[in-house]
Amino acid sequence: MNDVDTGERRRSGETRPVITELIDEATVQSIAEDAWTALVGEDEILLPIPGELTGDIVSSWVDVVGPWTGTVVLTTGRETAAGLTRALLGDHAPDELEDEDIADAFGEIANVVGGNVKAALPGPSALSLPDVGDAPAVRNPADVCRLDVLWRGEPLSISVQGALPALPGAPQN
Amino acid sequence: MRALVIDDSRAMRRIVSGILEGLGYETQQAGHGREGLDVLDGGWLPELVCVDWNMPVMDGLQFVSAVRANPAYRQLTIMMVTSESEHTQIVRALAAGAHEYMIKPFTADAFRDKLALLGLLPQEVAL
Amino acid sequence: MTLTATSFDWVRALVHKESAIVLQPGKEYLVEARLLPIARQMGIPDVSTYVESVRSRPSPDSTRQIVEALTTNETSWFRDGDPFTALTSTVMPALLAARGPNERLQIWSAACSSGQEPYTIAMLLEDAIPNAASRVSITATDLSREMVERTKAGRFSQLEVNRGLPAPMLVRHFTRAGSEWEVAPQLRRMVTASECNLAAPLPRMGPFDVVYLRNVLIYFDLPTKQAILRRVRELMRPDGWLFLGAAETTLGVDDSWERVVVGRSSAYRPLKGN
Repeated sequence: MNDVDTGERRRSGETRPVITELIDEATVQSIAEDAWTALVGEDEILLPIPGELTGDIVSSWVDVVGPWTGTVVLTTGRETAAGLTRALLGDHAPDELEDEDIADAFGEIANVVGGNVKAALPGPSALSLPDVGDAPAVRNPADVCRLDVLWRGEPLSISVQGALPALPGAPQN
Repeated sequence: MRALVIDDSRAMRRIVSGILEGLGYETQQAGHGREGLDVLDGGWLPELVCVDWNMPVMDGLQFVSAVRANPAYRQLTIMMVTSESEHTQIVRALAAGAHEYMIKPFTADAFRDKLALLGLLPQEVAL
Repeated sequence: MTLTATSFDWVRALVHKESAIVLQPGKEYLVEARLLPIARQMGIPDVSTYVESVRSRPSPDSTRQIVEALTTNETSWFRDGDPFTALTSTVMPALLAARGPNERLQIWSAACSSGQEPYTIAMLLEDAIPNAASRVSITATDLSREMVERTKAGRFSQLEVNRGLPAPMLVRHFTRAGSEWEVAPQLRRMVTASECNLAAPLPRMGPFDVVYLRNVLIYFDLPTKQAILRRVRELMRPDGWLFLGAAETTLGVDDSWERVVVGRSSAYRPLKGN
């Protein structure tokens, strides 16, 4: 697609926007809430309370490439991801969930959240297919918008994080 | 009535097919646009195609263009079902020949509303 | 959950017979949520008692109320689209021909909720009439202040624009605003929103050429329905058009209206001499 700004040519420029100038946690939360209400269940709520992610954790993510380039990452415990998969599939859930089922469903949630995050950012941008595994590293701590929530009492984080290192001289925090 | 559901996510295919089957549709599924075209080329012609945008091998926009380029498929009604939700993307999909556009996430009620707009909601409806 | 299995089964059978809609097992919560406001309005504390009272002595009015409450969804855009099709195919051409070029037509959306109905009307007129904003004004009212504020804002969530709004109209009349969609300024200029309680004396408004009073009367008893219809008629032009919900009617409630068929929909027009 030739109308997509890959972000590459901005590397030589003076400035590029960081995510906190483009989207806030409240917007990410409302996007996530819509996704949960529609996909996971009518009564499913996300409490904006941080919890500690421990033990066996898994991430799913999609890349956004455009005027802002980065990744929308969902991270939670493997058991919670399995619970999300069951809720998503409802009556269609198999008795035994395979890793592939969880990767597919958790990846699709990242796709839905990521697509809507992308639409709230300046465009045009391209969206990658979802990936699942260990979360991509944060490249620039100033270019992160992170939301921590509890779903059914279990911690889950949604991180919208830049894929590019900080520009020389840019503020770090 | 028959519907072809094209999405690279198995979970999403099951959700969309589940809604359509609940309304009395007979469905087939495909994991990307090329597989979807294979189903059509094999002679299984549905009234409705629900197609995702971002998929491997052949994406939804390419699929829509391919279907619209084939006069044999003129009767197909196509609805994009995707998390792509910018204004410009919806315009591109409609210009390529999609009839309707459903943004993920959606509810089963929203799906029924879209089918009603398309005149593809069966008479007896499950609420 | 106060709804008994007997009550639920009776409601299921009734809704299926009247509307061809199937309430599947597990939808008890929907019946509770939709019927509780009606039960409370009638001074009955729970839904099962209310359903039993209707079941033991059914009347067309009370059964229609149940069917209507379970089959309408106030948050869709073109749900039950016939009254909107009638507006552009029949009603507006007749009114534009009858009025002078400088007369502005007035339309009232009398239970506008979060704004889907008045903006649906505005979109249709914008697409059908050149310079629509100079020819037509839309008054949107609701009992709830929150709904009036939402209508004024003209912003809708992703889930809301998915509910029955045709994609071509979405891209023509809305822009993205963060995670929401915002209706175009020229449509917002056509719509004036304010609070209004239909069950009380009405403020000075109108006179209206077209009134949408859909899925409102079902929540009221017969004397209140009669009072509302009388007050609405006083605010309408003699050749005006009233649209009610698909299962609502003036027949047997207020005989000063004439029912006319408009396309696949029905409208009500004030009878001369009343």
